[in-house]
Amino acid sequence: MNGIPPLFRQPLAIALLLIAVLLVLGEQLSPGFASMQQILRLLIVAALLGIVAAGQNLVILGGREGIDLSVGGIISLSAIIAGNLMNGADAGIPLAIAGCIVAGAFFGLLNGLGVTLLRIPPLVMTLGMLGVLQGLLVVIRNGIPSGRAAPVLSQFVTQPVLFGLPGIIWLWIAVGLLMAFLLRRTVFGQRIYAIGSNEHAAIMAGVPAARIRILLFVLSGVFAAIAGICLLGYSGSSFANVGEQYMLPSIIAVVFGGTSLAGGKGGYTGTMAGAVMLVVLQSILTTINIEESGRQMIFGATLLVLMLFYGRGRAMRT
Amino acid sequence: MSKLVLRDVSKTYGATVALSHGDLTLEAGEVHVLIGSNGSGKSTLCKIVAGSVRPDSGRVEIDGKPVAISGPQAARTLGIGIFYQELSLAARRTVEENICLSDLPMKAGLFIDRATLSDRAARYIALFDGVTGEGFAADAPVDTLRADQRQLVEIMKTLASEAPILIFDEPTSALDRAQVDRFFEILRGLKNDSRTIVFISHRMDEIFAIGDRVTIIRDGRTISSMAIADTQPPALIRLMVGEKEELASASAPAPAPDAGKTALAVSGLSGPGFANVGFDLKHGEILGFGGLHGQGQSAALRALFGANPYVSGTVSLAGHPVRIATPAEAIRQGFAYVSGDRRRDGVITGRSILENVTPIHFLRRRLALVRPGALRKAAEPAISAMKTRFAGFSHPIDSLSGGNQQKVVIARWLIDRPDILLLDDPTKGIDLSAKADLFALIRELAAHGMAIILYSSEDAELLANADRILVFNGGRPVRELTGEDRTRYNLYQAAYEAAFGAA
Ligand SMILES: Nc1ncnc2c1ncn2[C@@H]1O[C@H](COP(=O)(O)OP(=O)(O)OP(=O)(O)O)[C@@H](O)[C@H]1O
Ligand SMILES: [Mg+2]
Repeated sequence: MNGIPPLFRQPLAIALLLIAVLLVLGEQLSPGFASMQQILRLLIVAALLGIVAAGQNLVILGGREGIDLSVGGIISLSAIIAGNLMNGADAGIPLAIAGCIVAGAFFGLLNGLGVTLLRIPPLVMTLGMLGVLQGLLVVIRNGIPSGRAAPVLSQFVTQPVLFGLPGIIWLWIAVGLLMAFLLRRTVFGQRIYAIGSNEHAAIMAGVPAARIRILLFVLSGVFAAIAGICLLGYSGSSFANVGEQYMLPSIIAVVFGGTSLAGGKGGYTGTMAGAVMLVVLQSILTTINIEESGRQMIFGATLLVLMLFYGRGRAMRT
Repeated sequence: MSKLVLRDVSKTYGATVALSHGDLTLEAGEVHVLIGSNGSGKSTLCKIVAGSVRPDSGRVEIDGKPVAISGPQAARTLGIGIFYQELSLAARRTVEENICLSDLPMKAGLFIDRATLSDRAARYIALFDGVTGEGFAADAPVDTLRADQRQLVEIMKTLASEAPILIFDEPTSALDRAQVDRFFEILRGLKNDSRTIVFISHRMDEIFAIGDRVTIIRDGRTISSMAIADTQPPALIRLMVGEKEELASASAPAPAPDAGKTALAVSGLSGPGFANVGFDLKHGEILGFGGLHGQGQSAALRALFGANPYVSGTVSLAGHPVRIATPAEAIRQGFAYVSGDRRRDGVITGRSILENVTPIHFLRRRLALVRPGALRKAAEPAISAMKTRFAGFSHPIDSLSGGNQQKVVIARWLIDRPDILLLDDPTKGIDLSAKADLFALIRELAAHGMAIILYSSEDAELLANADRILVFNGGRPVRELTGEDRTRYNLYQAAYEAAFGAA
């Protein structure tokens, strides 16, 4: 780790600092950028991203090059399933939620089985799954309408429900607490770190590595599905590939938050800060009229730079 | 003039003083032994000389001139080569690439010169002809090798540095007798070339076989140096552990096999690397597995533990046939397996000491929640029974000395006592007094009815602690030594010759 300034060893601190800097910068570029209302809007988007990133975080922590590229596909699928099952009626919400979670878990399970039983590298497996999901979405779209969000769902995502904060932010806080508890206070959490750091040693110590890894992919699918439902609530109706734009940022948020892509090191608190940081950055880029393609490029470059800083931890200990 | 002089070097990590006062004088043409308990600062001292740890204070002179060792590269240029206790090999690279890793021959300054690389590596590989064992090849990736073979590669890599000063930090911990003998032959050759050699080992016989001078280091201080010829093992041990402590006697409670029931019966067990392994193990008994390295001892133990597959044979526990496919199942059935290859099988790198000591406890007690307070309490007796030196449960395991890491790995199996304890060269890297404690503990566990299998690459350890010994050769047990037959001579003879029908 020589040569890296000490500050860069504290990902959470950097993320928070960057958020503050970006907000000030945004306010300079366009007055009102850092207004309370704007910040709330940003937090809603950050919550959507943060929920996806929770699953991504788990998969990455589990090591063996763990990564889930299919989250975008699952989000889109979940949004369209939810839109059709509720179709504008509040009564359809429970069924929609159940349906989406089952679908997310199912595709996550396929990812997990492919990675463990068939030993397909996660990158390849989940990329393949993304392709499958995209095809599936085209088929679905040709047959059925996109569906609409139920009013309660839209309200939950966009309107204040408690202490002036929208329900989705509370949901995100709950996810944050759940993740902290899971990773720090459960045996399951410790086993995730164990397989991420030294899978072989973990297995020798009785850790059922394959079962845990499958579960991580299932959880990632479920988190993506939940994000898909919320996304539907956010935009009112689902449209083609709404989820796509979340895949890369979900990975960046995790890495930016200090979780090592090699696995076994990191946590979710940093990821939450990373998600907020990314959303603020994205908003600034929009403010200064940078097109979607430009933003994607900047995000990709950010990931590469992050890898430069954080990716070195793997060097052999001497 | 001395080759290398260290004056008053020190190093602290946060609140831990790794080395408080290191003085060392090395002469050309000598093998200088460093001896001290686990965590006394030997590796820290070596790493300072090799430039991979920056000392907080102190001076270094080479050939009488003060030098600054600013990093590993600087140390190499100053003529210092090092064997790292935790090895410094690139896992996915081949043996020959690793041997030449620190100085890759290049073509046109851009491409690796394969032919030169192979030639150069072959010279060092040839030094160990005949003792490298099965599966060892110049083009084998290092992560496919056994622990002893990886250690040989690290030795070759160190030799390939051709440095005038060579530091070996526990190079023999996983080697068997034949490999050690060969290594010592090589060291004697280097000595005649007036190279300077530092050698660290916890095996007393090795120290007396190869050392010229010895420096004793205790609690981070080098306390004295003397010629090996002027001292005796008991005197060294006293200097090492301090006047007060006594080494535990390994055979403290008389072996009390309750002449009882068979705990584990194995017959005709065959699989990759072992064939036709069969024995009955009683409660209270310590069965030794002997022989040269890689003769199937580890492979058979791993198969019993569900870590390797077996293709035929039967295993029964207390009379009931079982088929164990994973370590988790084995642990639930009451097995424990301590591996000497802690880097691969033991240490969960980067995680805390607590996380490293508790996984078996979680499984045996079917716990779902982590309660650090309760876990510390549960782990405390096991960890202190192993006399582990550590600053706190929440510190990362990597901050421990090699021997102390191994103690943590052993301790994880002792929180909830298993019925059958499989020890696969368990003392690798742990010091003399801890070793004595461990064997006293093992004897006591046996006295309480635990059934134990001990494989050791150190013959003395086997002879002193096993009630009977199965000698392996070519993957199968070829001879059983019991009672008076358990002699060093018989052990060697069986290990080397039994394959030709002498049994
Ligand atoms: N990176 C580190 N961070 C914190 N403490 C460390 C670190 N490296 C070593 N130590 C501490 O320094 C002390 C000396 O360690 P060192 O590795 O030099 O012991 P050693 O004599 O080589 O022991 P062993 O026989 O077990 O290999 C130990 O108490 C160890 O915990
Ligand atoms: Mg050491």
